[in-house]
Amino acid sequence: MNHGPLIFLGVFFALALSWFGLVFESQLQLGNAQPTTNLVNAAQLYPQMRPGQARQGLDVYRSLGCAACHSQQIGQTGRTYDVALTDAGTNRSAVVDTLLKVKPDATAIEAQRLLEKPPATILKDVTRAAADAAVAKFEPTGAKVEVRVIPTGPDIARGWGKRRSVAEDFLFDQPAMLGSQRVGPDLADVGSRLPDANLHSLHLYDPQIVVSKSVMPPYRFLFEKRKIGREPSPDALKLAGKFAPEQGCEIVPTDEARQLVAYLLSLRADTAIFETPMTVARANVSTNAPAATNAPAAQTTNSVAK
Amino acid sequence: MNLDPNKSPAPQEPEPTTGSAPAPVWLFVLVALLAFWGMGFLDSHGGGFDARVYAPYNSAKEVEDEWPKSGAGAAFARGELVYREVARCILCHQPTGLGSPGQQYPPLAKSEWVLAQEPGRVIRIVLNGLQGPITVTGQQFNSNGMVPWRDTLTDQQIADVLTYIRSEWGNNAPEVKPEQVKAIRDKTAGRPGQWLADELLKVLETE
Amino acid sequence: MIATSSSWHTVSPGPRSGSVAPPAEIDASCRVAVMVLLACAAAWLVVASGFGLIASLKFHAPNLLADSPWFTYGRVQPAQVNALIYGFAAQAGLGIALWMIARLGRTLLVQPGYIVVGALLWNVGVKLGVFGILIGDTTGYEWLEMPGYASPILFAAYAIIGIPALLTFHHRREPTLYVSQWFLLAALFWFPWIYSTANLLLVFFPVRGVLQAVVDWWYVNNLNQIWLGFIGLAAIFYFLPKLTARPLYSNYLAILAFSTLALFGGWGGIHSGAPVPAWMPSLSTVFTVLTAIPLIAITINLNRTFTGAIAKLKESLPLKFVVFGAVAYLLAGALAIVSTFPQFSQITHFTLFTPARTQLFLYGFFAMTMFGAIYHVVPLLIQNEWPSARLVRAHFALAMLGLAFYVGSLSVGGILQGLALNDPQVPFAGALNRPLVCFRVGTLGDLLMTAGNVCLALNLAWLLARCCRACCVPAIMAAVKPQMAEAAR
Repeated sequence: MNHGPLIFLGVFFALALSWFGLVFESQLQLGNAQPTTNLVNAAQLYPQMRPGQARQGLDVYRSLGCAACHSQQIGQTGRTYDVALTDAGTNRSAVVDTLLKVKPDATAIEAQRLLEKPPATILKDVTRAAADAAVAKFEPTGAKVEVRVIPTGPDIARGWGKRRSVAEDFLFDQPAMLGSQRVGPDLADVGSRLPDANLHSLHLYDPQIVVSKSVMPPYRFLFEKRKIGREPSPDALKLAGKFAPEQGCEIVPTDEARQLVAYLLSLRADTAIFETPMTVARANVSTNAPAATNAPAAQTTNSVAK
Repeated sequence: MNLDPNKSPAPQEPEPTTGSAPAPVWLFVLVALLAFWGMGFLDSHGGGFDARVYAPYNSAKEVEDEWPKSGAGAAFARGELVYREVARCILCHQPTGLGSPGQQYPPLAKSEWVLAQEPGRVIRIVLNGLQGPITVTGQQFNSNGMVPWRDTLTDQQIADVLTYIRSEWGNNAPEVKPEQVKAIRDKTAGRPGQWLADELLKVLETE
Repeated sequence: MIATSSSWHTVSPGPRSGSVAPPAEIDASCRVAVMVLLACAAAWLVVASGFGLIASLKFHAPNLLADSPWFTYGRVQPAQVNALIYGFAAQAGLGIALWMIARLGRTLLVQPGYIVVGALLWNVGVKLGVFGILIGDTTGYEWLEMPGYASPILFAAYAIIGIPALLTFHHRREPTLYVSQWFLLAALFWFPWIYSTANLLLVFFPVRGVLQAVVDWWYVNNLNQIWLGFIGLAAIFYFLPKLTARPLYSNYLAILAFSTLALFGGWGGIHSGAPVPAWMPSLSTVFTVLTAIPLIAITINLNRTFTGAIAKLKESLPLKFVVFGAVAYLLAGALAIVSTFPQFSQITHFTLFTPARTQLFLYGFFAMTMFGAIYHVVPLLIQNEWPSARLVRAHFALAMLGLAFYVGSLSVGGILQGLALNDPQVPFAGALNRPLVCFRVGTLGDLLMTAGNVCLALNLAWLLARCCRACCVPAIMAAVKPQMAEAAR
């Protein structure tokens, strides 16, 4: 029997199986994904396209191969629940009574204090059933009490993000560089964790300025050393000690450095969407509040960003 | 190995052959066992092959259940969905709740109509729509009118979306319950057309 | 299967008719084509080792070459990987595969001239690709970093090499298929399919968002487990029985291993914390666990074939390499199965453990098997023994020691790193302290492996120089002599 065509067919079938199962099926599910309803901030869909500088910065990130040491995927291993009081309502005594029932180890004075400045966390780290039961107990008192869902996991505990990364986070990225190593910290949410552009510039120039025993190589070639003109440039790096250039010279970021920093600042993964149940503590949101999106942080900092 | 470069390599070994020992039966049993385990694993960890389910959740229902259902928070979330997707109030009144003065869509943020303690008037507006000029926050708006939602939205939906607009954008008015909406729906059952602002002002808020 | 005209092949008998070709003739037909592939592979191995050494040293001295954007870690590391995979592994694999297909089919290699052209074009592609990575045109996808102007060249070169390979298989005069031929035929088809798919869906018509990562992981897994895995297994199944002069224990076990590996092996690659819906990592886990079946089948097969033949190890150096490769394959496979479970991967993902596992597979299994094959095959092709048996022994010792240092230290370091990263009390900078110390041993291992690779390159260069002097010089003299005589007259 001529095995040749048989092997060919078998191999084609085997390869087609894994291609259909993994590549095609996921394309069917996620290929036409659109920005989703942001369930927290009513003003915007999620994700937003990165603004121009940040998009160019993504290209710099790709070209320098930053993904070789940095991942961009936060993981989650579980979740826990808090119960929070958002409005004490009018019947304060009933609320205090219920509070003492729900939290037996609290004293009356502690309970009163919780009512003074809502929102206040009444119960921490309880199961969903316990949280729901507590909320039910508060219904007749007229107070506004809510269950807060808090994702948990080592990455989240480390402060690398408030929730796990999902497909939606990478919707507009080309290429999506998830990374597979953590020689350096995870960068998925670095824009909210470190919103200071100046810090990023210093770190890129020489990581040892910021982290003394850093393994990250210095990216001095992203910066330009030039003579100080009549006045120092507004975006010159403020270097000291052995990192400072010689007298009369200043270090100025090139366009690539600026773009890369803009990209880093645009890396945020703190928006709650359907796939990532999580409660973001709501202040009474005014219309001017900065949106929690993948857009760059509000321009509250530094002279480097342009 | 031979170090003498002038000597040709050792005589060639023959090509390999295979024996025909049978594959042990227990290996096939193992295949079956592993396949069975695999199916169980996919069942418990596969999230139902749903694109919206990510670990540590195991089904879309679990994810849905995680979002607040009870209490005002849930009404708020549901109302937001109505505002954005179901009734698309967002198109005219905007995501910021500021409306559009140029196009004569009145704002909802800080609107005294929305913030009224008793929601009777806003419920009527949503149920039967509005026509003609209306003064909101000191400005006059004269839009083409707001469509009635009586037949499109349920009492729950109207209650939710009103709860939402009364808590968003700095507004802080009490939530609206579906019973209140139902009461007014019954009261205004026979009404033919949209409200006029003057007419509404004549209706007491508590009605 | 493929319509052939007589201009396509120089052998006149049709497939499976006529007498089998004697091995010496087969080797002679393979000589130039396979030697070009193997020599280029050896050269790229040294280049890749060089890049790897630079990358490794940067961990201990971050300021090394830091002012040159060409040698920043993020470019040198992909350059190393691509040089290793496409420069060394692909060419060594293809060279050995061609020789095995010809030998097992008892037929001469078809159109070796085309294969040489293909090999040279492949090298052009790899050079262009690695250069592109260094200047910053990297695509950003792991193991597929070569820019879009290099990958079509590789694809074309593969076609030019692959079609004669298929024809050689088609013209086999030995009708019964040996196990290795199954693996090789599958591998021949697998690569162009996954390579073209991955490049089309990632570089030329990119899919959206995280799907890019999914396609990339699918590609890397198929490249590793199936393509390199099949070629390496074909070599192990060929050389182990051959060099121990024993039959392979069971044909059925081998076919079982082949079919289950082909069916299950392509589904892995999506790790459990990935930002994709839960069903994808679950599928990968299930199928990776199922690859235990072919692993067990191969273990039984090789074990039963090899028992009692330990003495042969002392006699044959190529056998040592091949046995090492087999053991590394089984170990890497077992580690892959263990690593797929979230409880384990939660500790080891994103740590140094991953490169340790990759190195165990790529170098410990594939490269060592190819080394054994090269050390066996080259003297047959060139009709000349290796000039220095000592260099071969040194290569084995250096490779074995280097790999042990590298894999051992990085595994330990990776687990330490993972445990520290999972503890939020440990600051990030501190989590890297002990792993970095482990990595010093790893860099030492890198050095040793590089030295071993240099031994191979030196040995090969020496052999080629001697051989060229032996046959080319008299040939040139014979050609030139009459002209010199003419001039003298």
